Amino acid sequence: MKQKSSFRLPTIIIAAIAVMLAAAGSAQAELLIRITEGADSAIPVSVVPFAENGSMPVGDKLSSIVQADLAMSGEFRPLPPEKMLSLPSKRSDVYFRDWRLLGQRYVLVGELTRNGDRVEARYELFDVNREERILGETAGAPASNIRSLAHHVSDKVYEAITGVPGAFSTKLAYVTLERENGKSRYRLQVSDIDGKRARIRLESKEPILSPAWSPDGKKLAYVSFETGKPAIFVHELSSGQRTKVADFPGLNSAPAWSPDGQSLLMTLSKDGNAEIYEMNLQSRKVTKLSNHWAIDTEAAWDSAGKGIFFTSDRSGGPQIYYMAKPGAEPRRITFGSRYNARPRPDSTGKYVYYVHQRDRAFTIARTNLENDEETVLTRTESDESPSVSPNGRMLIYATKQSGESVLTVISADGGAAYSLPASEGDVRDPAWGPIVR
Amino acid sequence: MKLSAQAKVIALLFSAGLFAGCSTTGENMDEGGYGSDVQPIDQDGGSTVYGGGDQGGISSSAMSEDERMEIERQAEQAALRDITTFYFDFDTSEIKPEARDVLMAHARYLSSNPGQKVRLEGHGDERGSKEYNLALGERRANAVQRFLIVNGASRGQMETVSYGEEKPAVMGSTESAWAQNRRVELVFE
Amino acid sequence: MTGQEREYTSTGVPAWKSPVALSVALHLLIAGVALAGWSWSNPIQEPPPNSISARLITQQKPEPSPVVEPVDQPDKEQERKELEKQKQAELQKRQKEEEVRKAAEQKKLEEVKRKEQERKQEQAKAEELKAKKAQEAARLKAEAEAKERERRKAEADAEKKRQQEAKRKAEEEKQRKEEQRKREEAERKKQEELARKEAERKRLDAERRLQEQQLEAQAEQARKARADEARRQEQAAAAKAREAQMLSDSQKYQALIRERLSQAWYPPSSATEEMTARLHITLLPTGELASVKLVASSGNTAFDNSALGAVRSLNRYPVPSERDTFETYFRQFTIEFNPKRLR
Repeated sequence: MKQKSSFRLPTIIIAAIAVMLAAAGSAQAELLIRITEGADSAIPVSVVPFAENGSMPVGDKLSSIVQADLAMSGEFRPLPPEKMLSLPSKRSDVYFRDWRLLGQRYVLVGELTRNGDRVEARYELFDVNREERILGETAGAPASNIRSLAHHVSDKVYEAITGVPGAFSTKLAYVTLERENGKSRYRLQVSDIDGKRARIRLESKEPILSPAWSPDGKKLAYVSFETGKPAIFVHELSSGQRTKVADFPGLNSAPAWSPDGQSLLMTLSKDGNAEIYEMNLQSRKVTKLSNHWAIDTEAAWDSAGKGIFFTSDRSGGPQIYYMAKPGAEPRRITFGSRYNARPRPDSTGKYVYYVHQRDRAFTIARTNLENDEETVLTRTESDESPSVSPNGRMLIYATKQSGESVLTVISADGGAAYSLPASEGDVRDPAWGPIVR
Repeated sequence: MKLSAQAKVIALLFSAGLFAGCSTTGENMDEGGYGSDVQPIDQDGGSTVYGGGDQGGISSSAMSEDERMEIERQAEQAALRDITTFYFDFDTSEIKPEARDVLMAHARYLSSNPGQKVRLEGHGDERGSKEYNLALGERRANAVQRFLIVNGASRGQMETVSYGEEKPAVMGSTESAWAQNRRVELVFE
Repeated sequence: MTGQEREYTSTGVPAWKSPVALSVALHLLIAGVALAGWSWSNPIQEPPPNSISARLITQQKPEPSPVVEPVDQPDKEQERKELEKQKQAELQKRQKEEEVRKAAEQKKLEEVKRKEQERKQEQAKAEELKAKKAQEAARLKAEAEAKERERRKAEADAEKKRQQEAKRKAEEEKQRKEEQRKREEAERKKQEELARKEAERKRLDAERRLQEQQLEAQAEQARKARADEARRQEQAAAAKAREAQMLSDSQKYQALIRERLSQAWYPPSSATEEMTARLHITLLPTGELASVKLVASSGNTAFDNSALGAVRSLNRYPVPSERDTFETYFRQFTIEFNPKRLR
């Protein structure tokens, strides 16, 4: 507030001086206009369908994949191609005036060329108002892998405009459940971030829970009930090799990788009640990190890899706690409601996301760790399992839609929501994979 | 035991006094003695009636009251043991008062059948976080286990496992469905 | 009740199982057990304390000394008598001597006897003393033994007591420890509760403070609005008073420009409240953008570009038609982009 008045004062003074000067009939005054708020909506952007040289593989077009990626982020509002006045594929065909008329800020144009079993994409991104090219590249991929090529383009476009690396080439792990004739079939699957190219990694009659990506993106840790009780497995994706790493009496659950991939945080109840432990994956030795008769579970390393967030109901109901280093005295983070669980800190270190009860609804909320401000992000009411994108810009979570569990992506500040196309049955427990170069 | 002669006589007298109350043909029974525990089986003609009420004293039968009581009690206990699911309120593992009698019956049964094994399966409703619900289910199963142990069962007879929200008894997102899913089930093997 | 007819069904139980018979049998059984037990459980008698069985040794009667009687001899009458007289006189002399001797002897004997008696008395005394001493010793010994037994018994009792005491103390200790543990547990729970209450209180405090802040902000906003309004009126009055139509015009257009630019600006997701980009604008009198130059970068390229994009996106800037006002304020001016409300 003070700033505003101090801003006003110089303006008045300047204006007064200007009046006097103008009255004196001489030079100009220097006006200062301050813009402190921007548009609340997503950036209008146009992804023009790429020109094609040669036969293209069957399936979604590269440009429509890019368009869907940018829309999913919640930060862009792509123009439907049918509204475009022209379909340029190179700079010389771009009439910026046309795009300005349509209110577009950025235009992406390009050309795909088939070379044997490869496809090459040459593309350019233009700032409509500055009439400048801000990105230009040629990239190629096997024709069977056109989706990966598209996601690469999306990553580059996103970074050029926002300054933040895109997360569209990452993978998603999740669990599906189908129930038929009293029998259940659980499947652990890995897909692209848009739900496409899903591959089943594990199938079981008993529940599978809590998939967690190793930092190098090569392994998944998860909880499986295949032995009749919860046990933690580490599953190498390329070889399909699985190792059971924790099968102590009681619970073996909530695995979370350390940033160096050498150890797992986990919840074990072998010593009497649910506590946080760290297991070195080489030696399989466990170290106890929490020590309280309450339930302590759902541990996750912070972005710096120094401290640990976790859920504990030591104050009566589940709340988010933080230990500045393993074994340190925990500090309570959430106070805004009687149920806060499953903390997921983002990679920036600024926010932690979690399940939050607001009145009768279970939503996803986040707390700004710099000022303790809490914001509810979702408007849905039976939300679970939030997972943040590795660039901290998007969040995926599971929610109920018509009685079935589906996955929804939102922008990390709670903006636009984008439901992943529903596959068969229930889809739950999403885990957003890391960015791998 | 070092009993003086005096003590033994008194003991004898008392024991005599204890059996003085036995029903014999032609004796009356104190109405208040059986009132609450015993239910009338059949009030129609030709059958035996227990307890107070218009009929007054206890009729005699060839079986002693104690034996009948015992059979009755065992039937009651068996009926209680038919209940093998116990429910909980949201986010708590506190055993409800109405569950106590049933659990006692189970504890007694387990205590007198040391070879009997049972699995305690803990569950929660679908709301909130999966992993927390897994731990909560375990805490519920442990609470039931502790109760059974305190009342006579031995730890070796029992195994606990939690399924969290993964195996609901009732599908749906209503209060009723949730209430029926917050449970511990006894599975006898 | 006795007058009532009772109905009962026979359940075919044999007669010997009737309650009467059972009752009697049981009574007999108890009686039998009691009696049998009677003989078994004899209270252990305490052994009577050892009486001192020392007898006084009776004194031996001294033996009567043999009496020596003189022996008479007949002699030849006179000679015999003389002799006898001589003999008698000798005898008498001898008798006298003898008597004297005897007397002396007797005396000696008596002396001896006396001495013997004395000695015997002494001996008896000594014996008596010895006996007494022995008695005393025996008594003492017995006493000591009894004391010893007493002591041992007392020790045994004490030991037993000690053990019982120790056991009791152990029990007590255990109890105490249990209670202490319970107390500590309760205390800890209480502390937890207090901590939770404290946290709750802190939370409520924070909420209250937040509410206060919000109220303050609202009040501030109202104050600001009033101040704005007052200022506007003041400015209008000043303008009116000074007939500075240019000033009010310029401000109107400033506000319009600000509004249009806000709507056209998409700050990037990485924008922070510290970022400020400053641009220098040159307009044509028609309101079209002649040129824009970045004079101070925010340090973030995406942010700078977003500001430039916003400025360039306006086809026409709202400017006053009055040439003087335009030239004074809007031919060239500066725009600063600095986000103040980020979630």
